[in-house]
Amino acid sequence: MTNEVLVIGGGPAGLTAAKTLADRGANVVLVERSESLGGMARELTCKGLVECRDCGACFAIDRAGEVLKEPSVEVLLLSEIVSVSKADDRYEAKVKVSPRYVTGDCTGCGKCVDVCPVEGKAIHPPKGTGQPRTYWIDRKKCLHFKKAGCNLCAEACPAKAVNFDDRATNVTRKPSSIVYATGIEPVDACEVTRLGCGTVKDVVSSVDAERMLNEKGKLTRPSDGASPKKIAVMQCVGSRSVKNGVDYCSKFCCKYATKISQLILDTDPEVNLDFYFMDLRTLYEPQDEFKRWAKDKKTVRLIRSMPAAVQQGKDGKVVVRVSTETDSEIQENEYDMVLLSVGMRPSGAATPLAGSLGITVDERGFARSSAELTGKGVHVVGAVSEPMDIEEAAVKTASATARVIVTKEGAK
Amino acid sequence: MKARIQVVACRSCTELPELLDMDTLMDIDPGRELVVSSILVDRLCDSKEIKRVVGEARDWEVDRVMVLACQKKDVNPALLAAYKKAGINEFMIEYVDLRDEVVLPHLSDKNAAQAKAEAKASAGLERLLMMEPLEKAVESMRTRNVVVLGGGASGRKAAEIAAAQGAHTIVIEKSARSFKAPGVIMTNSSLLGAKGYGGNFVLTIRAGEKVEELQCAALVVATGGGWTDLKGPLAKACKSAVPLYKLHEQVQGGAQPKGPIIIADTPDPGGKNLAIQDFAWDETLELAIDLKKRQPAEDVYVVFQEMRAFGLSELAYKDAADLGVRFVRYDRSAGPKIDSKDPGKLTVKDLAQGEVISIPIGTLAFAAIPANKDNEGVASVLRIPMSPEGGVRRGSIQRWPVSTPRPGIFVCGSAMFPKSKDMAEAEGETAGLMAGRFAMSGSIEYGGMVAEVTQEKCSACLTCVRTCPYDAPYIGTAGKAEIRTQACQGCGMCVGICPSKAIELKGFTDEQIAQETRTMLGGDF
Repeated sequence: MTNEVLVIGGGPAGLTAAKTLADRGANVVLVERSESLGGMARELTCKGLVECRDCGACFAIDRAGEVLKEPSVEVLLLSEIVSVSKADDRYEAKVKVSPRYVTGDCTGCGKCVDVCPVEGKAIHPPKGTGQPRTYWIDRKKCLHFKKAGCNLCAEACPAKAVNFDDRATNVTRKPSSIVYATGIEPVDACEVTRLGCGTVKDVVSSVDAERMLNEKGKLTRPSDGASPKKIAVMQCVGSRSVKNGVDYCSKFCCKYATKISQLILDTDPEVNLDFYFMDLRTLYEPQDEFKRWAKDKKTVRLIRSMPAAVQQGKDGKVVVRVSTETDSEIQENEYDMVLLSVGMRPSGAATPLAGSLGITVDERGFARSSAELTGKGVHVVGAVSEPMDIEEAAVKTASATARVIVTKEGAK
Repeated sequence: MKARIQVVACRSCTELPELLDMDTLMDIDPGRELVVSSILVDRLCDSKEIKRVVGEARDWEVDRVMVLACQKKDVNPALLAAYKKAGINEFMIEYVDLRDEVVLPHLSDKNAAQAKAEAKASAGLERLLMMEPLEKAVESMRTRNVVVLGGGASGRKAAEIAAAQGAHTIVIEKSARSFKAPGVIMTNSSLLGAKGYGGNFVLTIRAGEKVEELQCAALVVATGGGWTDLKGPLAKACKSAVPLYKLHEQVQGGAQPKGPIIIADTPDPGGKNLAIQDFAWDETLELAIDLKKRQPAEDVYVVFQEMRAFGLSELAYKDAADLGVRFVRYDRSAGPKIDSKDPGKLTVKDLAQGEVISIPIGTLAFAAIPANKDNEGVASVLRIPMSPEGGVRRGSIQRWPVSTPRPGIFVCGSAMFPKSKDMAEAEGETAGLMAGRFAMSGSIEYGGMVAEVTQEKCSACLTCVRTCPYDAPYIGTAGKAEIRTQACQGCGMCVGICPSKAIELKGFTDEQIAQETRTMLGGDF
């Protein structure tokens, strides 16, 4: 087929690439490792309860919906690229598509999950707001493939969508160019041991908080399910720190954390919120905007200080030990819940696949693009190349793929 | 002719608990035996179900449909297309959103959910009875011109990519500088006026001494950012102060600025005289490092409120600190001052040290970036919104980061907010791609749910003309308001604001809304 482009990664960047290329008449093969499209954005919550806050979480999910409807985009989920080799003027990509065991007839009723006897469940809905909404079975956990021969979900499914005969397939495609958009992974908040992650129950990472807000519409304390009335948000957890190798600024955390804080106050105006930060780096908005908002809300305090320790206090409270801005004294503040805003690391940059495509990696793990690489038809886009938010990933990807079309030699 | 209604209800499998009694919902009929077909399906998103539902609609010669389903957004396109094919007008289909509006707000109260669903369904039916089919029309674009306002980094990229899509590009640049871009370049030119709508704009351009009219299909606003304005007490007190880019030019030209060198964020720390969008932090760090390397003996200070070293710029921040650049953070309430009696010194309270320091001024530069002053004119001519700081505001990110609320007008680069060069170029390319594609589509579809003036009631007060964000109403030859249907986006602002109640929105007339509300409230009110 002519004009075939292989897009690796189904997050904001990969989806933007697939959509813009399909719009321009290219045939796209989109390979995504997980069970659904949307990438990191699947677990982000819309922060516009009252009015749009421009967080961009919907951007990726809407593009995912469009891409799935696009006839010229072939979406391969639960798929891994086995190898890519150069064949004449094209590439030859071998893709292994793992079985999903659930067909498109799935209505997402959830009855299968209810009956699944496995602890932690072997059949799952797609992550967060991921698209499509078809469920999937984790073969490693599923009892059907063990001695037990369990069949409960298939029996419970009203749509007869469970298909244990599904088999892995190998697909070979010959794209003339490749878009590499493997994205990021969040830093594990528990890498920073002093802030109570993993030891204090009511300390959650921003990723968990987003997921909670996305699913339930509000925050609840993991320890007792109560609505927190006093919350601390801490910035730069695992970012701007030489200890864990993430010595850069992750760029989007201030943007998202400030918007989450605003969302929390929108949901419950009585919440007292303390925002701990080093520098306030809110993208695409004047440096004073969040400060002005906080000043208006009498219950919000912005504290320029990095807490030293978070510990379990009495009566289910979380105690944050922190020195005041001027370093003059040390305070211990009590909270119902603490949110740790985690940074990012590039994902899938230092893999054999990237190596075989000629993608080099810098000392921080970001994939490097070069004119030579682009000339060979390999385009590195999105946050795997440098820290960026959804908006920047979309814009930079659209512009990179605009260049794919411009040269018009096939699609190079 | 009697209305023939089809009611389609979807069990909406997904995510919805079994909260509603769907059978009762299906039985709702205005009592006039107008519902000729009613179907309950499991999953309306399924193409097989759509086929069945639409097939039945065809068999029963249905002319209007009520859909009770989960989310408008999810069901809409495929079903709508199928109905259209079956000859049912797209404006004769009423959606009742059972998920977001009924089930989710009442998860804990089954009775409330059922009552709301029934009220919404009967109101929907009443509305449906009053609906009339509306038609859409197609207009060809007269040109394939894409006009780019601004010949800076993002504008040039926009022209390049739009031209690659096949569009004919015209770059309008206010200065006399020469640059390369595809298509026509008009220097010493600016935008004076704009008429029309996405697809067929007519622009009035001042080109040198002449004023010309120019037709275009799409437009890219790439007017760029502003330059530091030396407005404010610090610039006033220190006559030798320069904007950061000037200092940068001097250093590039080989000049050795006198130390100590101070780069302050703004000449107006109190924020009273100068509206600032952002600061050139990347450039500040770059220049500070450069200066420290060239003149290691000199003290270099960076005086700021917020160090916004985004992403990998953090590394430059660290490098600068390692080289000995001194960073002084202050608070707006205790900003840097220059005493007019002793103008050779800048005093500021350094918050990190908690003490007031006094720095002798060798060289002073400012990194503040205010909005481009041209934005206001361009935004008012094109009727696109602005941010409070004076940038051109883009539309919702849900569409595309370079779109504006007006179809056919795109915006990129620092015109919105100060951007790094690579981001500005990327936005330019994206805007060029969007504008090029828009222009090359060749035609626009318009009509349907648009505003309509009852001319007898119109007093030609011009309120609608001033209010419309899309430039749709105008005063016609009869001296009364008329609507340029091609431009109308059906937002309803003119309808709401018309003091004579002379404008109605087709498909949302007062009568229809009143009837719907009346039914929902269970009788007269």
